[in-house]
Amino acid sequence: MWIYEKKLQYPVNIKTADARLAKAVLSQLGGPDGELGAATRYLNQRYTMPDKENIAMLTDIGSEELGHVEMIGAIVYQLTRNLTPDEIKAGGYDAYFVDHGLGIYPSSAAGVPFSAACLQSKGDVIADLAEDLAAEQKARATYDYILRLSDDPDVNDVIKFLREREIVHFQRFAEALARAKDGLDKKNYYYYTPEYNVRRK
Amino acid sequence: MKDTARRDLMKEITALSFVLDETALYLDSHPDDPAALAYYADMRAKYEDARAKYEGEYGALTHAGVRGGDRWSWVDGTWPWEREDD
Repeated sequence: MWIYEKKLQYPVNIKTADARLAKAVLSQLGGPDGELGAATRYLNQRYTMPDKENIAMLTDIGSEELGHVEMIGAIVYQLTRNLTPDEIKAGGYDAYFVDHGLGIYPSSAAGVPFSAACLQSKGDVIADLAEDLAAEQKARATYDYILRLSDDPDVNDVIKFLREREIVHFQRFAEALARAKDGLDKKNYYYYTPEYNVRRK
Repeated sequence: MKDTARRDLMKEITALSFVLDETALYLDSHPDDPAALAYYADMRAKYEDARAKYEGEYGALTHAGVRGGDRWSWVDGTWPWEREDD
């Protein structure tokens, strides 16, 4: 069950509207490596994890990612506040605007709607944790690319925070993978469908 | 004047809340670490103080924080994605 707290995990205060930058940042809401995908992955993978510590970790990181979904929404909301039709056209935001106005809709920067097809919950502890390691690096790289495209200090401040969180999550998932491997039957050398072999303690 | 005080208090709450998030992640993989447990308890006390102060003056941060009165004040105030100077 989720409780909503009326605050952001990290503040977002953007002074200058920028339609073009909004489009790029939007990819971290609805794109293949974005926060909504991360939350969906972790919160769905946690049900079948054999290890209690990993269930807790996936629950907590998944919940944090929902907080990041909100932060990305806040960035896009503030970057597109009160845009004029000329600003929309100049920023290449017109295709998005036709379908969503100045509303917030989870799609990639290229306009592909959010899809769970970009993520996996395999019911297999090794596959799932390896997936999560990759996900955090993909997100971190996306933030790197956003930083290359942006010279807005208000936006960059928030992006750098989110990028650091990806790096921390990567460390945590690496620990989780080591822990999961330690818990497996020592004779199961290739970690074959470990969740069928491990009884929850 | 009043609004600077509100922003400063929210900043403090945000910082303390983040400390709790991060410590919780550590405790998820080290649930018996006594130093981390003590640190979490210490930070939580500070966080709850700051939060109580904020909710008393500026309004609830969760449903449970809506207290008394003849109005569901949850609907009032700025939402977190609105800019501070809107």
